[in-house]
Amino acid sequence: MHGSIPNAEATSAACGVASHALVEATLAEIPGLRDQTVPEGVPALPSRYLRHCDEQTVVGIRAVLAAIAAHPEPRPSFADYGVVAAPCQAGRIATAQSLAMLRTAGGVAVSPHVVPQCSLHSLAGAVSVALGMHGPNIGVSGGRHAVSEGLFTSLSLLAADESLPGVWLVVSGWTAEPSLDATGKPDCGRTQEARLGPICRALAVAVTASADAVADRGISRRLTLHMPATLRVARPAAESHGAADEILDFALGLAAGPAASWSHTCPWGAEIRLAPHAVARDGLRVEHGSTPRREAA
Amino acid sequence: MIVNTPSAREAVAITGIGAVTPLGHSFEAITDSLLAGRSGVRSIDPGEFARESQQFAAAVDSVPAPPDGVCMFNGQEFAALTRLEQMVVSPVAHALADAGLSQHRDRLRIGLVLGLGAEQLKRWELDFLAGGRQVFEPSPTDTLVHQVARMMNLRGPAVTVAAACASSGYAMALGRTWLKAGWVDACVVGGCDVLSPTALAAFYNLRALSRRSDDPAKASRPFDRDRDGFVMGEGGACFVLEPLSAARRRDARVYGELAGVGVSSDAAHMVTPCSDPTQAARAITQALADARVTADQIDYVNAHAAGTPVGDAAEAGAIRRALGSVVDRVPVSSTKSMSGHLISGAAAFEAVACLAAIARHAVPPTLNLDHPDEHCQLDHVPHVARERSVRVTASNSFGFGGANLCLVIREAA
Repeated sequence: MHGSIPNAEATSAACGVASHALVEATLAEIPGLRDQTVPEGVPALPSRYLRHCDEQTVVGIRAVLAAIAAHPEPRPSFADYGVVAAPCQAGRIATAQSLAMLRTAGGVAVSPHVVPQCSLHSLAGAVSVALGMHGPNIGVSGGRHAVSEGLFTSLSLLAADESLPGVWLVVSGWTAEPSLDATGKPDCGRTQEARLGPICRALAVAVTASADAVADRGISRRLTLHMPATLRVARPAAESHGAADEILDFALGLAAGPAASWSHTCPWGAEIRLAPHAVARDGLRVEHGSTPRREAA
Repeated sequence: MIVNTPSAREAVAITGIGAVTPLGHSFEAITDSLLAGRSGVRSIDPGEFARESQQFAAAVDSVPAPPDGVCMFNGQEFAALTRLEQMVVSPVAHALADAGLSQHRDRLRIGLVLGLGAEQLKRWELDFLAGGRQVFEPSPTDTLVHQVARMMNLRGPAVTVAAACASSGYAMALGRTWLKAGWVDACVVGGCDVLSPTALAAFYNLRALSRRSDDPAKASRPFDRDRDGFVMGEGGACFVLEPLSAARRRDARVYGELAGVGVSSDAAHMVTPCSDPTQAARAITQALADARVTADQIDYVNAHAAGTPVGDAAEAGAIRRALGSVVDRVPVSSTKSMSGHLISGAAAFEAVACLAAIARHAVPPTLNLDHPDEHCQLDHVPHVARERSVRVTASNSFGFGGANLCLVIREAA
């Protein structure tokens, strides 16, 4: 080993948030979401498109459709958007059923849909195909750090390609993993407990390459990433909670009023902040924590 | 998007390789196998649940233990890991050691991006087949990428990515982005997959697998008119990426440069390859532009071509469109004819094939290409390797969900 390794420098990046929506459903409610009509003004899904999809894909696509419906006018084309989807333990119910069938009936009984529809890529692919988005589509995480990995990857895609106008970030997970019987069948609404929960939660966020002047429900917001020069020495071991709590926390941050802000620290020490980004009518842009400056007319 | 980094124009070097593949586990062994035209496809015992027609694949016999001092466990503890865990830990550890960075982890931000398209499915399945009930009663566990980052004391970002059969290529692309953004000092990237009864059955029931069980070594026949599906394989590869200038300063071995990335989505169908080559060709064109090379500078294309009737023809169309008038002068081969389809690990393995072509100035062949399909007209390299100067390569990967990816890998300056 010769020579030296350069010292790291802290870096930052910023992008905008154009729209968001949170959708929640119990197991008993998900079959209804598979066939539900889309909100007014939103592109229709192909016929029976959600028939074989994993539960988190169903709820995740509904969240994207709701966020498109909530997008401020004029609504842009999303044809060149990318998709980053971060489900948590997706495909478990279908996998359990496939494994149970494998044992009782052999390979002939395994569903051909289990790989394309119930893997980590499936939610991202389903959003891309359903809504005709030709930017990159990738699944990320699969575990409890779905919010960290989803946000960081979304910012990475936007940093990688200046021509990418935006990314739909979808994060999803269960508040508690549904209990399954020996055939992999969930207790779907037969008891009061099942009707009340657990809940499948999905948050869709339109993250835009431009950090400027995109109003989400009248509030302009900016997502900033700060990568410190020195990262954490040790990562925390797994804790008991899943991704659903962090998804709700992020959603509450997005839904908060103009004065509110939200921040999230990734397991590796990077900090992602959501902050208001006010734009006055005369073009004066005010960034919190910085000196106001007048932009060119 | 605003990124305040001085490293955006810095070339990204590949300085470490770790691999577990049906064709060998070291760069030299894999290169020898590829250029000799050896097939890794053979009869296997896929377990009690499989049918006769699924009893061949490109399997890995044993996974090499990590080199001493890279991980926190000994050989006995490594042997106790699941096959999936071994397949991930081994190439990450070997890549770090090969790059000479295993001793410098304390003062570097080393990221980790793993392309694992079905980590949970494989974990649940391995547990189920061993008598466990995790799939019915899951307990919270970290994903492998975070376990491995902890195990190897890596202090950078850690992300699992999935784009089906393009997963490990997206991992390479993401790690390159982090370097260019200045978010890491080095990054371990790659991916792998393991054979499993459920995956074999699911792909078989999709009619995606070859049914040529009478002669396994002849079953994987990309671009051939008699192809009837792909052959599953297992394994994968990991790489250490770092700025070329840093690699030169420390006299590291530089295998090549990850010079360009192109990505797009067909947005057409979740499973069936898109017959319209527009988006796949766009990914190739983007990668060339990103690498600042023109089509006539490409010396070799490693095709995704898995041996499926629709997919191979669609890819040939995309290559023809992207390379234009020079397409008939650019050698194209599919190393899946030898390695089988490593699914999540395929793109990383095929990046090794590109580096092998650069190192030995020879293009690996497509085995079993007896009668090139008239719908796949390209400058094929059938049966035996072709010697030629190879400085710039392109490697395609396409996956379920319409994911398209092209990597340009070239000889480092």
